[in-house]
Amino acid sequence: MAQIIHILQTQGGDIVNSIGQHIGLSLISLLIAAVIAIPLAILLMNHERWAKVMLQITSILQTIPSLALLGILIPIVGIGTIPSIIALVIYAVMPIFQNTYSGLTTIDPNLEEAATAFGLSRRMKLFRVELPLALPMIISGIRIAMVLIIGTATLAALIGAGGLGTYILLGIETNNNALLIIGAVLSAVLALVFGAAIDWLGKLSFKKAGIVLLTLVVLIGGFAGYRKLASPQATITIAGKMGSEPEILINMYKDLIEHDHPNTKVTTKANFGGTSFLFKALQSGSIDIYPEFTGTVLESLVTGEKSASHDPAKTYQVAKQALKAQHQLAYLKPMKYQNGYDLAVTKQFAKKYHLKTVSDLVAIEGKVHAGFDPDFYQLKDGYPGLSKAYGLKFASAKTMEPSIRYKAIANGKVNLVDGYTTDPEIQEYHLVVLKDDKNFFPPYQGAPLMTEKLLTEHPELRTTLNKLAGKISMTDMQKMNYKVTVKHEKAATVARDYLRSHGLLD
Amino acid sequence: MIEFRNVSKRYAGNQAIDNLNLTIPTGDFFVLVGPSGSGKTTTLKMLNRLIAPTKGDIYFEDKRLIDYDLTQLRLQMGYVLQNIALFPNLNIQENIAIQAESLGWPRKQRIERARALLKQVDLDPDQYATRMPNELSGGEQQRVGIIRALAIKPKVVLMDEPFSALDPISRKQLQDLVLQLHKELQMTFVFVTHDMHEALRLGQHIAVMRLGQLQQVGTGEDIMQHPANDFVRGFFENEHAPRPDTVQSLLNEGYGETTTAPATLTATATINELAAALKGSTPVVVGTGATARMLSTPDLLDYLASKEAN
Repeated sequence: MAQIIHILQTQGGDIVNSIGQHIGLSLISLLIAAVIAIPLAILLMNHERWAKVMLQITSILQTIPSLALLGILIPIVGIGTIPSIIALVIYAVMPIFQNTYSGLTTIDPNLEEAATAFGLSRRMKLFRVELPLALPMIISGIRIAMVLIIGTATLAALIGAGGLGTYILLGIETNNNALLIIGAVLSAVLALVFGAAIDWLGKLSFKKAGIVLLTLVVLIGGFAGYRKLASPQATITIAGKMGSEPEILINMYKDLIEHDHPNTKVTTKANFGGTSFLFKALQSGSIDIYPEFTGTVLESLVTGEKSASHDPAKTYQVAKQALKAQHQLAYLKPMKYQNGYDLAVTKQFAKKYHLKTVSDLVAIEGKVHAGFDPDFYQLKDGYPGLSKAYGLKFASAKTMEPSIRYKAIANGKVNLVDGYTTDPEIQEYHLVVLKDDKNFFPPYQGAPLMTEKLLTEHPELRTTLNKLAGKISMTDMQKMNYKVTVKHEKAATVARDYLRSHGLLD
Repeated sequence: MIEFRNVSKRYAGNQAIDNLNLTIPTGDFFVLVGPSGSGKTTTLKMLNRLIAPTKGDIYFEDKRLIDYDLTQLRLQMGYVLQNIALFPNLNIQENIAIQAESLGWPRKQRIERARALLKQVDLDPDQYATRMPNELSGGEQQRVGIIRALAIKPKVVLMDEPFSALDPISRKQLQDLVLQLHKELQMTFVFVTHDMHEALRLGQHIAVMRLGQLQQVGTGEDIMQHPANDFVRGFFENEHAPRPDTVQSLLNEGYGETTTAPATLTATATINELAAALKGSTPVVVGTGATARMLSTPDLLDYLASKEAN
């Protein structure tokens, strides 16, 4: 609870921004869906066969999992707001269409007969009789669609459209329950508030409801237009994956570029999405630069280079060549720290048995009770390979969820865990990382990734960003991650402090 | 003048109207009467082309109905429905003026017309004009239903069993009202009912129908004195020598409230027996299940009073 309050205090502005994005995304989608579904239902109200077909189509669209839908849309319309809105509209059309259609077709036949017998025009019958009578059903359809949209809109964060989903994803990614709760609770509150607003709207007369809706459209449109005009014309967009570490890095990039080239404007998009989204965004030109790990490049972004060397320098060279040859991407020099798998023990345990390297474990393997992430336990790069390379066999090795792992070692349930070298928990729980003295773990070094085209247009980026080459040690990164995720300091501040204290910025 | 010439209407395997020939004089109060399934409502609905004949032609002012523009035709014909069918989303004056609105009358004129009509049927415009339909009693609603049909001064007013769902007192008042309106307005009224008594009370001319066939047309007196066949005679015998009233008669008139209590009297019991039962144990329950009704002493008194009034 204290953590939640702390986050609300330190990141209040960002959260309000996300709520704004979430509302904007939801309302625009809802309006578009209503504009599609309601006239369609009116058009088909006297054509039962076609209406049935349409209901079938919308039901099928409804069954596509939202993630799959986003996946389908990315190659077609790219990433960001537009695919999110398309996906949300697709989900929202069905409840609105279905309710409008049944509202219009279940009107008391006597009233229909009266309207017909009075010789009312089609238009007048529709606006004076049918639509007002179907209105409660239509409103409830819009309400269902709205709840659906606000829930699904959390996934928009995956493809860089922002919104409250950012906090949910970030919470999952960094095992931060406070963030997760903030994201989830705020989405739920939004759904409730909008539900009430729609009910209120439904009680207004036709005319008043129209005025309110129109005002809303103008406000949203105006706000979006203002934002577009007010935001500086960015020439370079730097994005980062989910989590504190990429956010710190992209702020460093921004500071360095803007310091060296005051005329170049940089926008950052933190917590932009997962690896594949960012990679596609880079290729499609939606973003210009993002930090990527050498190991990840070989593992998932290029083909045919899986069995790379365990030597970091060689790995970087192989990744760089492959990116250039296969994707026309430029990969600048990596930083010092490695963010790969590691083995960690408590300080006391390390002291007691004089542990410094993984090899030191062999002597006491009968006393080691390990807690491993399920992936690490199974992968060739993980425990099976490790035990072969070092000839290790621990007394016991349990699999547990990544989040529970660190708590287990802190509580003394296990005395050795796997982790990532820059995890802030290493500092939080006072752990010691054992040196991989046989270079078994594949190297994961971070470096700026961009298109060759960008580098041709802005050759100065090379010198500027290469200032970070070989900088930032593992402990530096651990400390910075700790400050951001545990102490909730701003990533931008942490990044600038580092650059200043290391003479990279004055 | 309206003329049916050799008109038949056939639904899948079912002859609803069989070779109907009928003339309705202009300005007449014309009643179509017959038991259910006689085709009287079908005949009425063919006039505003809610139903199209399978064979034959209907002439309105010497022009075939199907040669009229549908909207123009319907805007010359007022229509009163059995279940009233006021639009629940519109207030009373909007309901009354709906056809006028469709014709594009200015708002001020529409309101004036609605208020004048309300006054004409003894509903205070200040009190009723802006109320919603569900705030009115059944009788009041049907008054509005009737003046709604008159709002744009149509040449013909079609009424489809408009009073069958009303209580006897309201029905009597509304019968008087339509008679008076007919006298004042000089429109052709075509009125459908299954109630011979109502037909005799209202109709200048009456057409008796049965199973889609016309049995006899004439004034009430003609038909009473010279029934064309046994069916017409039988239909009227009830009128001449009514059998002793039974509890069923009360139920037919819609008295009593639904109840789940067990029956204490049969529907074939006479009115006298009902009076005796009501004296002993009040109230009396007739029938079972969905048709069970609870009858009280006020129901009986009301029934007898309205019978006397008729």
